[in-house]
Amino acid sequence: MEVTFDKYSLMVDGKRVFIKSGAFHYFRTPGYEMALDRFAKMKAGGYNTVDIYFNWNYHSQKQGEYDFTGVKDVRKVLQAANETGLFIIARPGPFINGEVNAGGLPFWLLKMDDVIPRNRIGTEYRYSEKYMQYIEEWYDNIIPIIREFDNVILFQIENEYATDTMEEDYMRQLYKMARDKGITCPIFHNDAYFAGLWADVVDIYALDLYPYINPNQNWKQDHFCFDTLDNVEEIFRSAKENSPPFIAEMQSGWFDKWDGSGYKHIRDALGDEHINIMTKTALSQGITLFNHYMAAGGTSWDDLACDEVYTSYEFTAPIDEFGIPQSNFFKAKEINYFLDSFDFTSTDPVPFDFSQENIYTKLRHDNINNCDWLFVRNMAPETVTLELPIGKSIQLKAYDMKICPVNLPLKGCEIEFSDVEIFARLHNETEEVIFMIADKNANIYLKEHGIISGDRNDYDNLTFERGGKITRFVFLTKRLADRSWLLNDKLIFNADYVLPNGAAALERNTEIAYYDLEHKFAKKYCVVNTFKDYNKPEIIKDFDIEFCSPEIDLHYNYSDWRKIGSKTDSLSCGLYDEFVWYKGRIPNNIEEITLSARHLFAVYINGKEVLNRNSYKLEKLQEVPETISIPLDKNILNQEVNELTILVQNLGFDKGFSGDTNCPRGLVTFETKPEVPVEFYVCEKLSIERGDTRESDNPYLTKITVNFDIDFRNDVFFAKYLSLENFWYRRATIFLNGVKIGRYIKRRHVQDKFYLINEFLKPQNTLEIIIWEKDRNIKSPWGFKSDMKNVIIQIGTQKMYQLFK
Amino acid sequence: MVVVPEFLIRRVYKKGSLKKIENGASLELKNVLGPGFISGFNYVKINDAVFEAHEVKFITGGQELAGESVSEANPVAFRLGQDGTLVMTGKDCVVDGTNKIVIEVMNPEAGKVQLTVEDMV
Repeated sequence: MEVTFDKYSLMVDGKRVFIKSGAFHYFRTPGYEMALDRFAKMKAGGYNTVDIYFNWNYHSQKQGEYDFTGVKDVRKVLQAANETGLFIIARPGPFINGEVNAGGLPFWLLKMDDVIPRNRIGTEYRYSEKYMQYIEEWYDNIIPIIREFDNVILFQIENEYATDTMEEDYMRQLYKMARDKGITCPIFHNDAYFAGLWADVVDIYALDLYPYINPNQNWKQDHFCFDTLDNVEEIFRSAKENSPPFIAEMQSGWFDKWDGSGYKHIRDALGDEHINIMTKTALSQGITLFNHYMAAGGTSWDDLACDEVYTSYEFTAPIDEFGIPQSNFFKAKEINYFLDSFDFTSTDPVPFDFSQENIYTKLRHDNINNCDWLFVRNMAPETVTLELPIGKSIQLKAYDMKICPVNLPLKGCEIEFSDVEIFARLHNETEEVIFMIADKNANIYLKEHGIISGDRNDYDNLTFERGGKITRFVFLTKRLADRSWLLNDKLIFNADYVLPNGAAALERNTEIAYYDLEHKFAKKYCVVNTFKDYNKPEIIKDFDIEFCSPEIDLHYNYSDWRKIGSKTDSLSCGLYDEFVWYKGRIPNNIEEITLSARHLFAVYINGKEVLNRNSYKLEKLQEVPETISIPLDKNILNQEVNELTILVQNLGFDKGFSGDTNCPRGLVTFETKPEVPVEFYVCEKLSIERGDTRESDNPYLTKITVNFDIDFRNDVFFAKYLSLENFWYRRATIFLNGVKIGRYIKRRHVQDKFYLINEFLKPQNTLEIIIWEKDRNIKSPWGFKSDMKNVIIQIGTQKMYQLFK
Repeated sequence: MVVVPEFLIRRVYKKGSLKKIENGASLELKNVLGPGFISGFNYVKINDAVFEAHEVKFITGGQELAGESVSEANPVAFRLGQDGTLVMTGKDCVVDGTNKIVIEVMNPEAGKVQLTVEDMV
């Protein structure tokens, strides 16, 4: 596949292609089957490209060792994209951000001598030869896999990179490395500052745009947040004259944080108006390559998340974490289908003299379809009627945006102007059917035929003929348009979604309709086999409870643990797991211990808790370190030599966008008063992860074990979840069949619903929930265990669709 | 740590805008970075003179805002392309020749943003 470009668009094998891409994280949606499912939905929604970050850290636990097997088999992910017919934008970093742990840099790299991650400290440039050598190692492993796939059309180096002095050595070296290792497609970088950064180093200049990054902000009220987007064509043209305008990350949702406002709030705040405005404004600025970040949400299972985010990386994406299309998916689909209807790859801005408060307009001449397109946006909180200088009026709802054809020649007629929006088009040499979205306040103005009202019912149609050629308009209400799917040369109506093989997914009994130019309409009635009343989650009553922290017990044998030196933090000791145990001995004359740990930790002496603390705190985007002193007395230090146990939960390293990735984690500092040396022995992971299933005497970590079955059927898609909605404990870690799939920490807007990731489900399943509780909440071990029997755990089905061929 | 590299932040300062006024100084800014908010004026430092928020006025979009009135709860919008004038009073600070200027403001998304420039008078 030969990929070239000019100032308008990308060209694949000499043919202009409009790139409609969506971001997908294979590491957060693990396995071939899940990738295939999300890609199929993206394809059904009109995307033709998938954007893929390759996460170095996910594949490399030790220097020189790379794992591309099992769920980490990226070949299968790329193969799934290939099978679905999607192009690929490859983004192997080395740094990726994506709210992943350490921004995707491997943990082992962070502690290497002479390595300065990303060749910068803060924003100061500091070149590191060693760092470049390790990147070479990563590229040597990942690029040969990427090169196996002919559908890779773009390759990104680094991500959102800038330094104070902007030395080019690093970026130029990355570019050369990619080329030397056989990358032949255009190379770009994603500029987070929309300042033309690295435009001279790469082939195509690209940037990212997120007008809504503060969920406390009301983007409808503060709509100047679109100022950059409204002028982005100018930025592109001044950055690099001869490359096509490319928004490498275009906001389609936003991530939530530990102390955030919750995904429901973000989804409600963005609605489907935001993606509509983002995408259409981008088109009005001549964009011919965009990438909705994200297209499909995912799950930060295992230790994937950076410290900022919790397990769900739902991102309010068009396809949610569970794989279910949401309302912004239907809006994206509408725009993608429109872009399939008329080739939009070569347009130029045309002066358009119109100015009104809260209204944005832009006119573009279409060099291919020989017409103009008028873009109109209303940011007023009410419907407005505009008298346009082209002699037409248009009514626009609040926060709506439309693309209106002006003087668009069709086969059987010509549209002079239309504010009834185009949904999709089927056409051959002599005939075309244009599906329009019915709108009672909009009209189509046809030359020679007058005005056609958009006030229509489903399937209402009108036919026009000229010189033996036919144009037929078929109207769909918005509700039906959402359930209508363009598949090659056919439209399928009334399905929840369709797969590339033509299968329709249905939640309930439905009459499916089909339309193609040869057979016109056809219908089929599909009876969905009775799904159990799946909307009601099942309350699990039968579960086992065990205490599972033998490490805290007095006289626990830790002689096989690793002894560490005076530096106890994660990087100094090479301890990267979420949970790290520290054990040592202290004499009984200690008056006080002072420690700092990230992020949650507890101190136990002689098997009793003396402190349990959540030290996670971010202020103004900066981590706030905390040092705590604990006074000790003879009641606590009741033996000559006392056993000290510290358990630290590390929620992840910084993602590296505004902070450094190699920030301290684990037990950062530890001192005693009077000062005595403490020899620490360390061990990673919880006991059950290490295969130690002994029940402990102490109740601080308690395991609930639930078994449940799944009835797998080839013709059914389902997504299941664990609900901790009525859960009264403070912290829990969730394992599904031995795989860590969630972190629960009680917060104001807590995540209490955890996706039971399909890839890890089996016919018979074991769910283990490890609860880490504070001493004050445990009256007595016996009473605690008894209380726990009342815990409410629910397993439910988010959605279920039957697939009909 | 600041998200935005220094050389980009410096673009916000209008070169040559520093003026000596009675018992203080004024200077001009233009937002060429992107739309956003200022959620606090920490201080402005001109040479050795430090002006706290209560000694700073920000004039933008036809409004005159006292520095201390701008906060996380009461941020001021600073649109792309928007101009603003900072007026500092309380002490003489501008010298003939090169002046060192540090402006530190808060942004809800980026946190602390510090602009350091030199300007001639």
